[in-house]
Amino acid sequence: MVAFTEEMVDVGGTKVHTLKGGSGEPLLLLHGAGGNTGWLRFADALAEKYTVYYPSHPGYGKSERPDWLETIPDMACFYTWYLESLGLEGVRTIGFSMGGWIASEIAAMCNHSISKLMLVGAAGIKPNDGEITDIFIISPAQVLDLMYHDPSQAPEYQQLYGTDPTPEQALVAETNREMAVRLCWKPYLHDPRLPSLLQRVKIPAKMVWGQYDGIIPVECGELYKKAINGSDLVVIDNCGHSPQVEKPEEFIKTALDFLA
Amino acid sequence: MFLMRFTERAYTNYTEEAVRNSPNEAVRLTFSNSNFDPKVGARQYNEYLDEYEYCEEVGFDGLMLNEHHNTPTCLGATMNLEAAILARNTTKPKIVLMGNPLPTFENPLRVAEEIAEIDMISNGRVVSGFVRGTGVESLAANINPLHNRERFEEAHDLIIKTWTTPGPFRWEGKHYHFRVVNPFETPLQKPHPPVWIPGLGSPQTLVWAAERGYPYIYLETDPQGTQDMIDIYTEAARECGYEAGPENFGYLCRIHVQDTDEKAYESAKGFLTGNVGVGRVPVPKDYMLPVGYGGNRNDPKIAKYLGRVRKDPFLGLGLETATYDEILASNRWIVGSPETVIRKLRETLSVIRPGILGVWTNDGDTTHTDTMNCLKLMGEEVLPALREIGAELELTDPFQKEAARA
Repeated sequence: MVAFTEEMVDVGGTKVHTLKGGSGEPLLLLHGAGGNTGWLRFADALAEKYTVYYPSHPGYGKSERPDWLETIPDMACFYTWYLESLGLEGVRTIGFSMGGWIASEIAAMCNHSISKLMLVGAAGIKPNDGEITDIFIISPAQVLDLMYHDPSQAPEYQQLYGTDPTPEQALVAETNREMAVRLCWKPYLHDPRLPSLLQRVKIPAKMVWGQYDGIIPVECGELYKKAINGSDLVVIDNCGHSPQVEKPEEFIKTALDFLA
Repeated sequence: MFLMRFTERAYTNYTEEAVRNSPNEAVRLTFSNSNFDPKVGARQYNEYLDEYEYCEEVGFDGLMLNEHHNTPTCLGATMNLEAAILARNTTKPKIVLMGNPLPTFENPLRVAEEIAEIDMISNGRVVSGFVRGTGVESLAANINPLHNRERFEEAHDLIIKTWTTPGPFRWEGKHYHFRVVNPFETPLQKPHPPVWIPGLGSPQTLVWAAERGYPYIYLETDPQGTQDMIDIYTEAARECGYEAGPENFGYLCRIHVQDTDEKAYESAKGFLTGNVGVGRVPVPKDYMLPVGYGGNRNDPKIAKYLGRVRKDPFLGLGLETATYDEILASNRWIVGSPETVIRKLRETLSVIRPGILGVWTNDGDTTHTDTMNCLKLMGEEVLPALREIGAELELTDPFQKEAARA
């Protein structure tokens, strides 16, 4: 296992809790609405080749939230600042779910922040046919049930969800859900401007979707592919919303091939 | 003591099975409106209005209305509309709006206009309650629950300013923005209609109400917990330099009366199908308390009061989990002959000491005939006795207090 550290990155006075590990060129991982998964095997494998930066978004986990930060475009703006604070530019980036939406907004907003963009089950674009599951009117247990196609194939499922949370973990989960509500309430988990803005993106981009994504329909991956010129969509068979956890080996291979 | 009558105006022409088969087994928010029959609705709206109008004849001081959305448990989806009808068709009782759910409105000025119109049509009889709205209302109106309290306070400030400050003026708030605030119609009552705040006793709201001297109406809360809530209000009032008394508090209670205890026991079973829904299927927590609605436990304003209010022994999300007999035995619902009801109410009033009593006479599938008989007995026997008890216990209401001051 690659050693990782925990750092508080100062961004204009806001402290951002960041897991950092590995060596090589920088790779930014942006987590989804539920929060930072911690250093799982997908992060570890990517850290074999890259210096992985895996922050908790402002308002999530141990990261502070500046009062002005209320929307995903605010978050994207914040992350350009975060990269600047770290002295990074042209960073390979993987965004998961809501984090994919953030990554897309960054790429559309600032064309030198990101050099390669990978979106995994990304929110941000409204499907034409299906609907993004409304995770705010169902219980966390129902959300979890919809996230995985077959939990038994996710090697870290027990580690992540097998035990009842401690009171501290429960409070973090509650705070994370609140932050997701703050960022994604309306329009729900999408930005009507995004497909138009994505025409500006000229960097290599790849979408990765679980075939049976129960949260963000695969159709959204197709719409991303249509919106970003020259991009590609890979669908992972028999997999749900989080390929990086449910089918880590397949995900890692796809990611490393693309990022190389 | 101020005596106001209330019913949720429930629609019950559906089955428990339909609720069980609905998304998340919920009778609220997502229970399909294909279960609604407007022909039944047409009859019920008129019966409910007839009952309210009859309340003037039997001697109630106030007609209390509320509203909810996307639910058969309350047909009052636009309370101000019913209030306007009652304003025109009655002459004496106050029209008590408990209350307009401010955060769910995009345009609070429209609310200010509606209430002003009702106040004029009723010749100054409006009591304008404001609420944050049950959590599920944030979902029905699709207003971010995290903004609920901020929007409540800002909409309130805007409405009060609209009623009390000559326009035109400009409003650039956090959630509301108007380049010209200048509704031409202003309320008849000056400086504005009385504001009462009904609710379940969230400490932040209690303090907010106390700071403004607004009476707080406890909506059938547990009597012991209610005393804790009264303490929180009273402390906040003292910090503002005044002593809170019965005129600062109201209590809503389900009270059903018939000629005999046995008959009342049967007809009050409508309480089991009304605001809790047919089948009393508990509504999902994620509907009633959406993420962000209750605030965060890390917030010092909330943390300060954690543990201050004794837990309601019946509370899951309402009284839906206890048995009928348990609820009656606890006196949370007061049901019986006039004699029984008066005796039990004396106990409740002695403990809580409200200057305002909300009398929730009926709900659910209690028949219109039984309801009218209940109202008749209220007028003949219960209300006069309550007035005597009120005088004996010195349960001064806000209007009596104001008259005494004048």
